[in-house]
Amino acid sequence: MSATVNVVRAELFKAFRKRRFYFLAGLYWLLLPAVALVTAAVLDRNLGASFANQSGQVVQVVQGFASPFGMARLALMAPALMSPTAYIIAVALFAGLFIGEERSQHMWKTVLAVQPARLAVLAGKLVAGMIVLGVLLAGALVTCTLAGAMGTLFLPTTFAGPWGQVAGLMALQWLQLLAALLLAYLLVFLVRSGTLGIILVIFLPALLEGLYTVLNTLSVMRPLTRFNAVFQALRLKQAWAALPHYFFNPNLYVPARHPLADFLQSAGTPQGADLGPLGTLLGRDLTLPHAAAVMAGYAAVFLVLLAWLIRRRDVE
Amino acid sequence: MTAISASGLTKRYGRVLAVDGLSFAIQPGEIVGFLGPNGAGKTTTLRMLAGLVRPSGGSCRVLDGSVPGASLRQVGTMIEEPSFYPYLSGRANLKHAATLHGGVPDRRIDEVLEFVRMERAARKRVRAYSQGMRQRLALARALLWKPRVLLLDEPTNGLDPAGIAEVRSALKTVAVQGVTVLVSSHILPEIEKLVERILAIDRGRLRFDGPLHGLLDAAGAGSVSFEIEATQGRALLDALADLGLEPAPAGEAGARVNVPVAMAPELLSELASKGVKVLEARRGSATLEDAYLRLVGAEGRPS
Repeated sequence: MSATVNVVRAELFKAFRKRRFYFLAGLYWLLLPAVALVTAAVLDRNLGASFANQSGQVVQVVQGFASPFGMARLALMAPALMSPTAYIIAVALFAGLFIGEERSQHMWKTVLAVQPARLAVLAGKLVAGMIVLGVLLAGALVTCTLAGAMGTLFLPTTFAGPWGQVAGLMALQWLQLLAALLLAYLLVFLVRSGTLGIILVIFLPALLEGLYTVLNTLSVMRPLTRFNAVFQALRLKQAWAALPHYFFNPNLYVPARHPLADFLQSAGTPQGADLGPLGTLLGRDLTLPHAAAVMAGYAAVFLVLLAWLIRRRDVE
Repeated sequence: MTAISASGLTKRYGRVLAVDGLSFAIQPGEIVGFLGPNGAGKTTTLRMLAGLVRPSGGSCRVLDGSVPGASLRQVGTMIEEPSFYPYLSGRANLKHAATLHGGVPDRRIDEVLEFVRMERAARKRVRAYSQGMRQRLALARALLWKPRVLLLDEPTNGLDPAGIAEVRSALKTVAVQGVTVLVSSHILPEIEKLVERILAIDRGRLRFDGPLHGLLDAAGAGSVSFEIEATQGRALLDALADLGLEPAPAGEAGARVNVPVAMAPELLSELASKGVKVLEARRGSATLEDAYLRLVGAEGRPS
């Protein structure tokens, strides 16, 4: 246990001396709330007194994303609505720092000679990665809330909102990032290249899921009925159709995208409206417990593989 | 208790046998030189002892603990090119290592920096360090937690003569404190000044394990080493070669040569009969380099 704590302390000592942490934090903690506040101010200034606000819709929209609660929710949602998401970029960059750099700087031999307990090194690096991600997320929650509070001085916004829900979703999102962090560590360690590992982390799950979509499209084409027949014969059709429910990317971001329906509703979209392909993309048909269970499964598999690799691999 | 031991230690990379059944035991407080040509298996052996590489066969133990295992926490290592985080200062790199290991107070960082004379340079980022400074910092890091065993691979690589002498002195100091040192180096005169015992390997196999004087005696057995100076160096070398010897040039008009004991009394008269005017002839003693080259053969190169 003390070996793991030592590794965590050493890795944090290193991480907080890297510019990339402050760059990411700056983007997340300052740029995001600043852009939201400016957008809200522009909306309110230009549309607040117009016909568009006759039934108070502009005020609702501004309250939806620029109030203290709206800002906190934005800190959770916004990183998951980019492509690639800011969450996976942060995870990949920290995997590059904690695992990739040991390779690129030939530090594995030093790290493992100084701290020979390899599983403690892995555990420490995971805990350090989660702490750094947690600091980023919690910091964003705080700065966005403060920016929202500042916005109440010149915007028609209030502090109202289900705060507990957002805090809980943020915590769940942070926990689910463990699976992404494990995947990132695994890929960076496996390919023995920080850069290639980072690229793979960002694009591999999406690539595999895209491949599924292509195969799925092909399978419904008439000339390829033999493909279909094989599936029917093996009774795999249902499993094949259910596969997207277990995909990595949609499940990973379920907590962050969960409040999207509320947000869209506040922006005028009727409750329960069919969002079409966007709804599937955003994982609206995936529940929080389902997503948490799927990501726990991924995390367990990645952890076993990574632990096995780190224990066995020779350090050259 | 043995400080370091290996029993049938073997490492195979595919078809290549890097280390082949190495067995030895080193007692606490010994300073042992680890010699062998390039590719002999020295670094692989050190890596196995440090727990970085898994043996394909056999086993090794450090401080009577199995490797890998908890006993490795009492080992300091410098294996091949020292590596650091280049964006951190020398001191911050040591702080990172101290934190990673645990139980190392901050004042110990100052002590080791002073020991390797790096107090001032420790504030600079490592990316600005010369090879010699990196070597010194690596030695400081290896000593951070007061290890009971030091595994050093070419610790004087890239150091100037003064630096080499300082490292030698530093290693003697830690050895006096009871630290066991296994050191490989290609600077054989330095090894000769430092160690009491030699382990020599070639093609992964142990070729010699014994006291330094034993290796030197073996090298000198059956022959006498001469250092000869003559009026004309070329003529001297040619005459010695005519006598079936293998002279090595030494200085402007001199040569070093090993002469069979039976031929030694007649050497000067033989040279005179070939018209070589000898100015001075001294009987020399076998050096570690002579002994080493004899051990590993003509194709062996000191590494």
